[in-house]
Amino acid sequence: MSSTSVYPTPINTFKQSKRSVLSVIVDNEPGILARIVGLFSGRGYNIEALNVTVVDVKKNLSRITIETLGEEKVISQIIAQLEKLVPVHSATNLAYLSESYEAEICLVKIEFENEEQDQKILNFADIYRSRTVQKRQNVVVYEISGTSERINKFLDDLDTIGGIKVELVRSGPIGLGI
Amino acid sequence: MTNENEFTGADILLKALKDQEVDTIFGYPGGAVLPIYDAIFGQNFLKHVLVRQEAGAVHAAEGYARSSGKVGVLLVTSGPGVTNVVTGLTDALMDSIPIVCISGQVPSHLIGTDAFQECDTTGITRPCTKHNYLVKDVSKLSETIHEAFKIASSGRPGPVLIDIPKDVQFAKSKYISKKDISFREHRIKAGSKNVDKIFVEELVNHIKKSERPIFYVGGGCLNSGHQASQELIKLVNKTNIPITTTLHGLGCFPGEDKSSLGMLGMHGNYEANLAMNKCDLMINIGARFDDRVTGRLDAFSPDSIKFHIDIDQSSINKNVKVNFHTNTDITLTLKEINSFIESNNINFDDKDYSNWWGQINEWRKKECLHYEQGDEVIKPQHAISRLYELTKQKDTFVTTEVGQHQMWAAQYYKFSKPNRWITSGGLGTMGFGMPAAVGAQMANPDSLVIDIAGEASFLMNIQEIATAVQYKLPIKIFILNNEYMGMVRQWQELLHGSRYSESYVDALPDFKKLAESFNAVGVRAKNISELDDTINEMISIDRPVIADIWVDKKENCFPMIPSGAAHHEMLLSKYDKENPENQEKGKVLV
Ligand SMILES: Cc1ncc(C[n+]2csc(CCOP(=O)(O)OP(=O)(O)O)c2C)c(N)n1
Ligand SMILES: [Mg+2]
Repeated sequence: MSSTSVYPTPINTFKQSKRSVLSVIVDNEPGILARIVGLFSGRGYNIEALNVTVVDVKKNLSRITIETLGEEKVISQIIAQLEKLVPVHSATNLAYLSESYEAEICLVKIEFENEEQDQKILNFADIYRSRTVQKRQNVVVYEISGTSERINKFLDDLDTIGGIKVELVRSGPIGLGI
Repeated sequence: MTNENEFTGADILLKALKDQEVDTIFGYPGGAVLPIYDAIFGQNFLKHVLVRQEAGAVHAAEGYARSSGKVGVLLVTSGPGVTNVVTGLTDALMDSIPIVCISGQVPSHLIGTDAFQECDTTGITRPCTKHNYLVKDVSKLSETIHEAFKIASSGRPGPVLIDIPKDVQFAKSKYISKKDISFREHRIKAGSKNVDKIFVEELVNHIKKSERPIFYVGGGCLNSGHQASQELIKLVNKTNIPITTTLHGLGCFPGEDKSSLGMLGMHGNYEANLAMNKCDLMINIGARFDDRVTGRLDAFSPDSIKFHIDIDQSSINKNVKVNFHTNTDITLTLKEINSFIESNNINFDDKDYSNWWGQINEWRKKECLHYEQGDEVIKPQHAISRLYELTKQKDTFVTTEVGQHQMWAAQYYKFSKPNRWITSGGLGTMGFGMPAAVGAQMANPDSLVIDIAGEASFLMNIQEIATAVQYKLPIKIFILNNEYMGMVRQWQELLHGSRYSESYVDALPDFKKLAESFNAVGVRAKNISELDDTINEMISIDRPVIADIWVDKKENCFPMIPSGAAHHEMLLSKYDKENPENQEKGKVLV
C-alpha cells in the first residue's frame, strides 16, 4: 500500500493527444480536397500530413490519407464530420482496424565534405536499407520508406553526423487495412 | 443543328424545378442570371417573388421551408448577389433547413480572371452549405439539380447551392427527369432506415427502471415530420414522463399540455432546467446538446443515463457523452418504441413517477415566468401573452427576429403544432423574421403570419416590407419597441457594470409613418390601455401591418443561466445576483 501524500495530487486534466492516421475514400471531383482541408481548419483540427491520389480511375475514386493529432473523442468527431461530406464514401481510423500497414516515402539529398562522413552515411543507409537514387562526388540521394517513425529515426541518426547538409521531401504516411 | 430534345441550361433548370414540384422561388435578378430570368418570363407554373435584397430571398426561402416542410428555393446573381446570401445559408446550415440556392456565375471562360461580378462562389459558400456545385457542363445540369434537392431534404436537412455560369445557361443538352436519375447512395446520407431494436428495448427497460426520467426534444423531431410529433405525444401520454423542448423543438409537443415543462436552456423554464439537472434518465430526441442548452458542461445533468436519437452521427457524443444512441430517423424509432410497448403489453400505470412530479411541481411553484404588469407601461412579456390569447384560436405562424423579444416569444407564446414557430436559433440572425414571414405567408396564404420583432432587428431587413406589399402578403410585424438592442443591454447590465456601450437605438424611424410610406398599415400601442385594441386591429387588417408596441425599456429576460454557469445556478429575477466567479468566466463566453 502506498502512503497518503501530504499534499493532494492534482488530477491530471491534460487531454491525451494521439497520432491517428485516417484513410478516406472520396469521389474524385473538383473541390473535394478544399472541402476536407476546410473541415479541418474550420473546426480547429490538426493536419500533420496529407496525401491524395486517384486510386480507381474507372470509378473515379481517390484515397486521401490524413495524419492528425487529437484525443480519441476528437478523432471520432473528425470521422463523423468527414462522413457527412457528400463525396466521401468512407472514413476509417487505421488504428481501429485489426490489421493495417503503413508506409511513407522520403527522398533525402545529403551533401558531405569528406570520406569519414561518406562512410557514416553509407553505414546508416545500409542499416535502414535505403536505396541509392543517385551518387555524385559530394552528394548522394537516397530513397527510404517505411513507417514515419522509421524515417524519423533515420533522419535523427543522420543528424548525429556533423557538417553535412540535408534536404528532404516526405510523402506523409499512407496506409491500408487488411 | 437544333434538336427538339435539347434545351438550354436555363430551360433545363425550370424543367427540373417543375419536376421537383417547386411552385415558388424567391429571387433578385442580375447579369449572370438573365437567361434564367428570361425562361421565368415565359412560363406560369413557377411564381417568382421579387425580394428587395438577396438576404431577404434566403430568409424567405427558410421561412417557406420551415412552415411548409418543403424545400425552399432562391435565385440570385453572381458576385454581390451571392455574397448577400452567405448569412442566410449559414443560418439554414445551423438550423438544418432544406433550401436550394441557384446562383449565376460569370461565363466559364472568364472564371479566374477577376471578371465583373465574379467571386469564388463555391469557395465562399463551401463551409456554409451542406453541399455545393459549380456546373461547368450543361449535360450534368439536370442530374445536379435533382441531386441537390435530394441532398437538401435527406438525413439532416440543410442548404445546397448550385452555381451556374452564364454560358451553361445558354448551352443546350437533353433534360433528364427526376424519375430517370438513380442517386448514388453514399452521396445522399439519408440515415439508416433500420430501427435499432436493441436501442428500443434498452430504452423501454430504462424507462421502467428510472425514477426521474425526462424527454429532451429538439428541432430534429420537427425535421422528421408531423408524424414524429404524433408518435411523441402518444409516448408521453403513455408513460407520463415530463418533456422539455429546445427553442426549435417548440410545437413538437403541445406547449399547454400538463406534461410539458416548456423550453429549457439559457432562458428556459426553471422547472425544465432543474429537471434536466436532476433527472436519472434523459431521452434526447433530435436535440444537439447546444451550449445554450447545456450551460456549463461539467455540471450538465451529472447523474443521468442518456439516450440520444439523432439522424446526424456527428451530433452523437460531440458535446456530451451519451450511453445509448441511434442514427435512425426519429419517426421510425418512436413508432417502434410505441409498438414495442403495445405489443409487449407494457404498462406504466404503476409507474406514475409521483415523487418526481411532486418535485417538479415544487419547482413550478417558483413561477419563473411571473411578471408584474402595472397599469401604464406595457411589459413586453404581457404584450406576447396578450398576442397569444388574441390569436390562439386562429391558424397562426410566428416568426421572430433575434433578441429579448425572441426569448419572450418562446416563453409566452404557446405552440400546439410543429412548424408554427420559425426562428433563427443556431446563428441568431437579426433581420431573419420579416423575410421569413414573407416566405411563410407565401406557403400559407390563408394563415395569420406574425413576425415578433425587436426594433433594431427589424431595421436590418426592413426593405422586405415592400415585397410583402407587392405580393399582398398580409404579414404582421409586431415590434416590441424598447429603443434598445435589449439583449445586448441586458448582458451589459449583468456582465459589464451597466455600461451601455452603443446599445441604445437612437434616431429610430416613426414606424407608423414608415408603414404608410410603404403602403402598408401602421398601428401603435403606447400604454396598456391600448394594447388589446391595437392587437385586434392589427389582426383584422387584411394587409401588411407594422404594430409599434412601446414596451418597458429596462425589462430583462429571465430566467437566465449566464454563460459559463450551470443549470442550477439560474437567475430568476433582477434581484438574483450572479456568482462573481462565474461572471468573470462567463464574460469571455458568448
Ligand atoms: C446580425 C446580427 N448582429 C448582431 C447580433 C447581436 N445581437 C443579438 S440580440 C441584439 C439586439 C437586438 O435588438 P432588438 O432587435 O431591438 O431586440 P430586443 O433584444 O431589444 O428585443 C444584437 C445586436 C445578432 N444577433 N445578429
Ligand atoms: Mg429592442
